[in-house]
Amino acid sequence: MKKLLLFLFIFSITFLIFPEKNSAAENLQAMIDSLEEGAVLQLENKTYEGNIVINKSITLIGTINTVIKGDGTGNVISIKAPNVTIKWLSVTNSSMDRNSAEEYAGIKIHTNGNVIENVKITDSFHGIYLSQAHENKISHVEIKGMGKGEIAAQGNGIHIYYSNQNLLTHNTIEGTRDGMFFDYGNKNESYQNNISNTRYGLHYMYSDENLFKKNTFTMNTGGAAVMNSNHLVLEDNHFIVNYGNQSFGLLLLQANDNQIKNNTFYMNQRGMYIDQATRNSFEGNKISQNQIGIELWASSNEQIFSKNLITENTIPAVTIGGGDESNFWSHNGKGNDWGSSFPLTDLNQDGIGDFPITYRSSLYQLLEDQELSYLFLKSPALPIYEKMNAVLMDEKVMFDDPHPLTAAKRNNHLILIAAVTLAAVLILLKGRHLLCITFGRNGRKT
Amino acid sequence: MHYIWKEWKENIRGKGLWLALSIIVLISVSILFRSTALSFDKGFYVLLINLFDTIIYFIPILCLFIGAFSIFQEKEQKTLIMLLTKKDHYTSFLLRKSLGLYTVVLVPILVWFFLYLLLLKFNFQLDIKAYFIFILAIVAMSLVFLQMGAAIGSFSRSRMQIIGYTIFVWFYFFFLHDFLLLSLLPDVTYENVKVFSAGYFLNPLQSVRMFLETGMGVYSFGHMSRLLQAFMWTKPVFFLLGNLVFWIITSIAAGIIFHRKEGLE
Repeated sequence: MKKLLLFLFIFSITFLIFPEKNSAAENLQAMIDSLEEGAVLQLENKTYEGNIVINKSITLIGTINTVIKGDGTGNVISIKAPNVTIKWLSVTNSSMDRNSAEEYAGIKIHTNGNVIENVKITDSFHGIYLSQAHENKISHVEIKGMGKGEIAAQGNGIHIYYSNQNLLTHNTIEGTRDGMFFDYGNKNESYQNNISNTRYGLHYMYSDENLFKKNTFTMNTGGAAVMNSNHLVLEDNHFIVNYGNQSFGLLLLQANDNQIKNNTFYMNQRGMYIDQATRNSFEGNKISQNQIGIELWASSNEQIFSKNLITENTIPAVTIGGGDESNFWSHNGKGNDWGSSFPLTDLNQDGIGDFPITYRSSLYQLLEDQELSYLFLKSPALPIYEKMNAVLMDEKVMFDDPHPLTAAKRNNHLILIAAVTLAAVLILLKGRHLLCITFGRNGRKT
Repeated sequence: MHYIWKEWKENIRGKGLWLALSIIVLISVSILFRSTALSFDKGFYVLLINLFDTIIYFIPILCLFIGAFSIFQEKEQKTLIMLLTKKDHYTSFLLRKSLGLYTVVLVPILVWFFLYLLLLKFNFQLDIKAYFIFILAIVAMSLVFLQMGAAIGSFSRSRMQIIGYTIFVWFYFFFLHDFLLLSLLPDVTYENVKVFSAGYFLNPLQSVRMFLETGMGVYSFGHMSRLLQAFMWTKPVFFLLGNLVFWIITSIAAGIIFHRKEGLE
């Protein structure tokens, strides 16, 4: 009996000293290590303790509540073998250490041909980090950061470092430093990603020939920042409500020969912000209700703007640092549609206005000299300020479109007008014989 | 309570309040129709900003008129004289009247925006905190301009005077105030930026807008320069509160000091 009690005592001590989590971590790593190449491991509906390293080409498939939780000291999942597939699980708690030699992530990929699908990543420095990893596919991944206020203390949603020809689709990234950061990443393709509440939704540095299509950027400090990157195609993306004091939909900085096609820039502080960039083509974009539609710095030249709809912006386009002579506002005889603010005639009905549109403004100097001037961009006083300066001849040409497109027929608001009229009539009829305070005869019966 | 009830009865029989409310309803419904194409999760913020940007043109002037005519009516109908002869001092009359005005104007607006929230629920993912901030912004703007309207009603002697003063106040805050600041902008330096900031946020329209956009998390003040940091020397909510206190006290004081008991007739 004594021996039995002694055994139970030692067993319980051992049980307490080595809690389940450590053995669970060993279990998952051990399970992975024990698999053959190409094997499929179906994970259970529970939390597995990380960190884990995958050294074999295997498939990990979770279920709805499968979580791999890191110990906060490194990468939660490190993929060091090619052709690994990870599906349907959550990854959390990587190291947030900024002083280590390595930048940690929820999932760090060092190899090629991996597939990451339907994975949720939280509480990690970077969400997914591709380090010299090519031809990987990352789709339907949901990455959540610490929110817009935290910039330095956290990393990026998806970080692409010296990695080429990867495919990133249908991912949702929220509240990280940058949504997708491409650092020396070439020929990557990104489709239908949704990025919000980050610093820059998309950030290209030294990354060429990438394709970025049908993605949506909302409420970031900057929608997409393209720096020192060339030959990119940005098509059918939505840059919506990137709205802070220095915000923009798209920034092109030292970026050349890029194609910006059919994107929507809506309600941004600046729709496009172009500085030290050359030979970029902007075609078929819809740039509306931004405070500044296009902000071009004089250091930028040979941009071509054609077939864009640029309407309802406080300032359609401004060239900072002087008049605009080195950029082209039409191409092959087709300019841009400047909306109802620039009425046009088209007597021969060829869709091209009968006379060029030249926009002059005095604001360029104020915007260049005084950053607080951006605070007045929504003020109704701005048009008056412009008119006053027009009288004083203190303006410069901001753009000159020799072949402006005539405005497409817009929906008229007949129903709204009818409703307003009806309401006004009803109100005026009402109380004709009653007390009337504000606009009536004040208590006297008619 | 008596004043609130009296104000309510007078207003529901009149056209002013209904006209104001119907304009707000029409604007908000038309913006909702225009926004149905927006995305489910972020469209809510876009709609609120668009709605605010449109409604900001109407609420100030409607509140100014309602406030001014409500006070003036007391003069026109001689009820002001009766009230003052009876027991009231003008200060207490103005305060009670203002309280009545607040209640009568704000209650229908709040009811409408509660119903509007239900309409929004079918189209967008709601953010109740952002909506609450939107409502606070509308309430703050209404309070300031109702009180200014009450002051105008207090010192005006005719309807023409009311219309003149009201249009001037509206024009001042919409155009002149910012225009003056824009003219001063080239001379703003780090040393004097706080004074400039005080001037900027003295405009209720700017302080309400800043409160709304930052409160909803749409406008971010990340990576501020030293100048901008000095400009934003306190939180937008305190700028708004300061503005509210300043204009309400100034309007009440102006209403009391310069009031005239009789209309011209």
